[in-house]
Amino acid sequence: MDMDSSDSSKPAPPSKVTKRKGERAGSDAFDIWLQRGLHQLYDNVAAEPIPPELMRLIEEDRTRRGK
Amino acid sequence: MPNEFHGQVIALLPRLRVQALALTRNRAAADDLVQDAVANALAAQNSFTPGTNFAAWMHRILRNRFISTLRKQRETTDIEDVPAAAFAVSATHEDRLVLKELGAAVNRLPADQREALFMVVLQGMSYEDVAEATGCAVGTAKSRVFRARRQLQTWLTGEESAEATTEEQRIERERVSGRGARRQESTASSRGARRSGVGEHHLLA
Repeated sequence: MDMDSSDSSKPAPPSKVTKRKGERAGSDAFDIWLQRGLHQLYDNVAAEPIPPELMRLIEEDRTRRGK
Repeated sequence: MPNEFHGQVIALLPRLRVQALALTRNRAAADDLVQDAVANALAAQNSFTPGTNFAAWMHRILRNRFISTLRKQRETTDIEDVPAAAFAVSATHEDRLVLKELGAAVNRLPADQREALFMVVLQGMSYEDVAEATGCAVGTAKSRVFRARRQLQTWLTGEESAEATTEEQRIERERVSGRGARRQESTASSRGARRSGVGEHHLLA
């Protein structure tokens, strides 16, 4: 980013830019951590076997309609 | 084609279970909700148009079923903090504490934010699919996930991201300007989502 001489009296606040970049990096790191944590918490739920009564409900309907 | 329909239901069950858990926060209630939603879907299968988005159709049935149950009960009574299965994995004591804290924080989120977060982060759904499944605008779906992430970050790290304000404002501007603002519901739910601890009640709005 080039600045002309008129800007030299009003220098950009680098601390704010740096802070925002730091916050974004912090949010990105948190989002990665969050994704890993949610998978650890809930993947087992998705991986559980289908309850037999639910499977029966679906299969009975499939058989009935398939005929 | 009936066989294809049933195969799609079975293939989708793991995701439906996670969505049900996102809504109910209770394992037993989630299992009941999935069973009821599947029964509804089987009864209504002729209303599904083959070639359209089956997952979104099914998620909508589950969500509607949850809302109608909620209307009867007005509120869920039993809340589990974290799925017990999470602790069966070989995590260290410290990891388990952190996971427990995360699970508790996730459960404090408004239901529509938790649902959208799970759909995107756990199930890899696109914002378009989340919007279709939950009957909101794409901007609203993005906003829900974004708010959920930043709220969890605030709760768990104590840091409030300045980025949150600007990003949220941008999403809000997009929505207000009409890009993808399909329903008034989106406005109502985003207002509701801003209130902390609103639980599922705003789903009834």
